Amino acid sequence: MIELLRVENLTKKFGELTAVDACSFTVKEGSITALIGPNGSGKTTVFNLITGYLPSDSGKVEFAGSSIRKQSPGSLYRKGLTRTFQQARVFADLTVQENLVVAGGGKWTNLFGRRITAEDQSRAAELLDEFKLSHVADLYASELSWGQRKLLEFASVLMSKPRLVLLDEPTAGVNPILIETMATHIRSYNAAGVTFLIVEHDMSFVMRVCDPVIVLDRGKTIAVGDPETVQSDPRVLDAYLGD
Amino acid sequence: MKLSKKGASPFFTRSGLMRGGVLIAVLIVMPQLFPQHWIWNMMFFTVLYAAMSVAWNLIGGFAGYPSLGHAAFFGIGAYATASIFKSSEILTNGWQPFFMLPLVGLGCAILALPIGYIAMRVRANIFAIVTITLLFVAQTLGYNLKSITGGAQGAGLSVAPFHLDIFEQPFYFAAATLLLFAMGIAYFITKTKLGMALTSIRADEDKARGVGVRTTGIKVITFAVSVGITGMAGGIWAYYLGFIYPQFAFDPLITIAIVLMTFLGGRATVWGPVLGAAILMPAQQLLAYYVGGSQIYLIAYAAIFLLIMLLLPRGILPTFLNKRRMDSMATKGDLSGTSTTPVTTGGSKS
Repeated sequence: MIELLRVENLTKKFGELTAVDACSFTVKEGSITALIGPNGSGKTTVFNLITGYLPSDSGKVEFAGSSIRKQSPGSLYRKGLTRTFQQARVFADLTVQENLVVAGGGKWTNLFGRRITAEDQSRAAELLDEFKLSHVADLYASELSWGQRKLLEFASVLMSKPRLVLLDEPTAGVNPILIETMATHIRSYNAAGVTFLIVEHDMSFVMRVCDPVIVLDRGKTIAVGDPETVQSDPRVLDAYLGD
Repeated sequence: MKLSKKGASPFFTRSGLMRGGVLIAVLIVMPQLFPQHWIWNMMFFTVLYAAMSVAWNLIGGFAGYPSLGHAAFFGIGAYATASIFKSSEILTNGWQPFFMLPLVGLGCAILALPIGYIAMRVRANIFAIVTITLLFVAQTLGYNLKSITGGAQGAGLSVAPFHLDIFEQPFYFAAATLLLFAMGIAYFITKTKLGMALTSIRADEDKARGVGVRTTGIKVITFAVSVGITGMAGGIWAYYLGFIYPQFAFDPLITIAIVLMTFLGGRATVWGPVLGAAILMPAQQLLAYYVGGSQIYLIAYAAIFLLIMLLLPRGILPTFLNKRRMDSMATKGDLSGTSTTPVTTGGSKS
């Protein structure tokens, strides 16, 4: 498998606090990679640095062989790198279908075209059907339950047919049935060629779905390997359980 | 959203065309029913403020960037017109200043591009403060650039050579044309992906950036279009009055009025600002006429506004549209298994 994402010596400081400290890892194309670590270890900051939401102080980030360190989230999205957030973020004043269509991207000129084209409608319908959201397609996103919002956010980042999706705690706050639904969708899209990098606290989910697992502690990569190896690594146990 | 048989959302609906036709008919017929000059005057200001409210709504309503500096561009449009048609010039016919308005609007829009690009580096609430600062800067320049504005002594314009019996009518129809133009843009926004992009910026700009919405370009261009229309309104106003002063051309009350009208009728809708202007402007003028001497009219004006905001906090139109939608969904039984949090605005449905 070739490297789709390479992070090298990535560093970010907030004042005196070093949130990400010379962090390095790679994500292979076609993998479902987990990024885990105790609270405050810098996982979400790493996501923000990779996706252009925060500027890094130093280090390199390469996506599909090109440097993306100073690119905007929008430009990365158009290149096939997209993400979800810890708290499901959907556009409350748009309908569920419109949430998908607006995430479909496209050229400048498309802005002056019809709100929803037949092509948009058909692509959105496919995803709505897959994510079992067809019955709420015309509701505003603000009218969805939390779990439905999580599904909608996940579905919307798939509208642009991305190569790499960064999922920030996809199972946070959702019920066990929906966790299984999430796992099924991740596996199914991975089988279709989408690579995933997932920040997650639910270890059972990580162990079942992800391979390899990258562990961060205090902004540094402390372990990388398959779930079993990482689980028994003393540095990981130390990071989670303390001295 | 209703989709056509081919699955696409339509540009024009029968009900939309009918509403547009009724508005044009009302704009033409209504003033003919009332020959009194004061009614023409009131209708002129109502339609002019409706046009400005619709224009403000493009950036303040659809994009969620509440500009408090629109009066700066109103004043710039007014003084641009005053500079072109100075009082020393005698107009052969009265139409030249109207034909010059698109150029005045374009000038304001071009000026707004760098200003918007800088001001919109901050988010919505701070943007409001930045733009009100812009207004006071423009007002100060209005007082001090005496060679252009005449300073505190004011600037005169060419006298409009219209017959006194119909003096207000050309101004009224110019303002009505501007209103239809502004509403056409607002309607276009609701029917295209541009409207969805603006709504996504209002809802969550960071997320919008993350799904490829070109936020900066869209915001800046929308701001430019919005203030371009406001500048044209300033040009009509200046020509109508014939003599302008900085304190009235760059008046914060202009911005406050158009913001109130938009919020009252319903922001992020095509018709909300028009409805707000149709209520507030005649109310303000009638109250000033009947109880103006005692200044009670200002209290009465505020009371009307507070009452409506208390009863319909999201504005008149979104409240009714949302209620109708909820009733329709409850009838169809579509509400099961969903949260009932209402949308924060009228969305973009009307």
